[in-house]
Amino acid sequence: MRYSFYPGCSMEGTAVPYRKSVEPVAEALGMELEEIPDWNCCGATVASGVVGDYTQQVVAARNFALAEPRGLDVLVACSSCFLSLALTNKRFQEDADFHRAANEALAAAGLKYNGTLKVRQILEVMVNDVGIERIRARVKRPLTGLKVAGYVGCQTMRTLPWEFDDPEHPVVLDRIIEALGATATPFPMKTRCCGSSQTLPAEKILMGASREILESAAEGGAQMIVTPCPMCQLNLDSYQGRMNQLLQTSFAMPVLFFTQLMAIAFDLPPESWALKYNIVSPFQALAPLGINR
Amino acid sequence: MADCQVSPEAVRYDPAFSREVYALENGPQIKKCMQCGMCAVSCATRASMNYSPRRLFNLIKQGKKETVMKSNTMWMCTTCLMCKVRCPRGIAIVDVMHDLKNLAIDQGYVTHPQAAFYQAFWKEIWSRGRVFEGGVTARYFLKRGILGEIKTILSMKDVGMDMLRHSRMPLLPPRKIKGLGDLHKIIEKARSQRKEVS
Ligand code: SF4
Ligand code: SF4
Repeated sequence: MRYSFYPGCSMEGTAVPYRKSVEPVAEALGMELEEIPDWNCCGATVASGVVGDYTQQVVAARNFALAEPRGLDVLVACSSCFLSLALTNKRFQEDADFHRAANEALAAAGLKYNGTLKVRQILEVMVNDVGIERIRARVKRPLTGLKVAGYVGCQTMRTLPWEFDDPEHPVVLDRIIEALGATATPFPMKTRCCGSSQTLPAEKILMGASREILESAAEGGAQMIVTPCPMCQLNLDSYQGRMNQLLQTSFAMPVLFFTQLMAIAFDLPPESWALKYNIVSPFQALAPLGINR
Repeated sequence: MADCQVSPEAVRYDPAFSREVYALENGPQIKKCMQCGMCAVSCATRASMNYSPRRLFNLIKQGKKETVMKSNTMWMCTTCLMCKVRCPRGIAIVDVMHDLKNLAIDQGYVTHPQAAFYQAFWKEIWSRGRVFEGGVTARYFLKRGILGEIKTILSMKDVGMDMLRHSRMPLLPPRKIKGLGDLHKIIEKARSQRKEVS
C-alpha cells in the first residue's frame, strides 16, 4: 500500500496534530506515504472565487503533474483539498477540452499531466485498502466504554456523491470508531457544515452552526468528537471558549482528528497522539483508559 | 410570497446581465433551474443570505444586476455542497456561487468582508505557493482596514491566545515552494486562456 501523499497547507499550520498522527498511524497499518515533492496549495474552495474554476483547477493540477511519474494513488486527508483535487482530476479524465487546455497551461512550466492518477480520500482508503479488520487487529488499547461522535463534515462525502458512502448519512467514520473498541454515538449533525472559512468575515455563522453540531453530539451522549477535516476540527475546538462567553453555553467537548484516536488505540508513542495541540482538553474523557496528561 | 408582491415599479428585465452571467464558466447551468426551492431548504447558510440560491437565480434571469451583485448570497455560501447533492436538475449551484464571487471581485463589488478574505487567500497562494493561515489573517485585516476592524481583533484575542498556547498558530510562514516561478507562469497562462475563451 504505497501512496503519493498530499498533506495540504493546514497540516503545516493549524492542523499540526493531524500531520503528527496521520503518518505514524499510516505506517502502523502498513501504508507507505511519499509526500509529493514541492506540492503547492490546491486553491481549496476559495481560489475559484477569485480567479474562476478553470485557473484554480490548473493550479491544483500542477500537483498531479509532479506526482504522476511515480504512478501512485494520491492520498488526501483534508476535506477541502480532496474536494479541489478530486474534482480537478475527474475533469482531467472526463473533459477532453479541459484536459488539452490545462496541459497547455502546465506546459508554460514544462509540465504535463496525462490524467492517470486516482485521488483517494483517507477515510475511503482506511476502509477499502486497509480494511476494518486490519484496523481492528492493530488495536492494542481497546477504547472500551469511550463514546465518540464521528463528525465527517460537509465536503468529505459530498465531493463525489454516491461514489463512496452516503453524502448525507455516511457510516464509514462510525465503523472506524467501533473498530477501535469505542462506541459511535448517534449524531444527526454528522455532515452539517461547521461554518467553514466564515470565521473571520462572519463568525456568527460559525457559532450558530458549531453550536448545533456540538449540541447534537452532546445529546447523543458523546464524550468527544473526532473528524477527518482540519477546518471542522479547528472551528469546533478553538471556538468553544468564545461560544461559552458569548452564547452562555457550557461546552467542554474535546475535538480530535480521528487519526489521533487511532494512534491512542494502537498504543503508538504519545508524540503521535499529539494531544497537547488540542485546545479543549481530552484528558477527562481519556482518564478511564489510563491516559493522563 | 415575496416574489409576487404588487409593486409600483415598472417591470423590466435586463437580458444583458443574464447573458453576462450565462457566459461565466458555470453560468449555462442556471438556465436549467426549475425554481423548485430544494436548494433553499437545504442550504446551510440560507438564514444569513439576502436571497436563497433559488431566488438569486430568478433575479439573474430577470437581469437584476445591482440586486444580485450587491447581495451577500454568494459570499455566505460555505461550499458545503448540500445543494449540489440535492438539486434535482443536477446544477452545481456551489460552482455558480464561485463564478458570482469572481464576477463581483472583477467588477469591484467588494464591500462584503468575505471578498477581502478571498482576495487575501489568493494573495497568499500567489506569493508563497502555499497558504499560511497567519498570512491570510494579516492580509485580511489590512484589506479591511485595521482601525475599522479593531473591535473584532480585540474580541478575537482569546481565541488567538488559546491557539498560541496550544502551538496551533505558527508565527512564521513555511518556506515558499521552489517552483513558485513555474506556478506563476502556469497561472498567467491559465488566466490568458480564460480571457480567450470568454
Ligand atoms: S434545487 Fe436546483 S432546480 Fe431547484 S431551485 Fe435550486 S437550483 Fe433551481
Ligand atoms: S454549497 Fe453554498 S449554496 Fe449550496 S447549500 Fe452549501 S452554503 Fe448553501
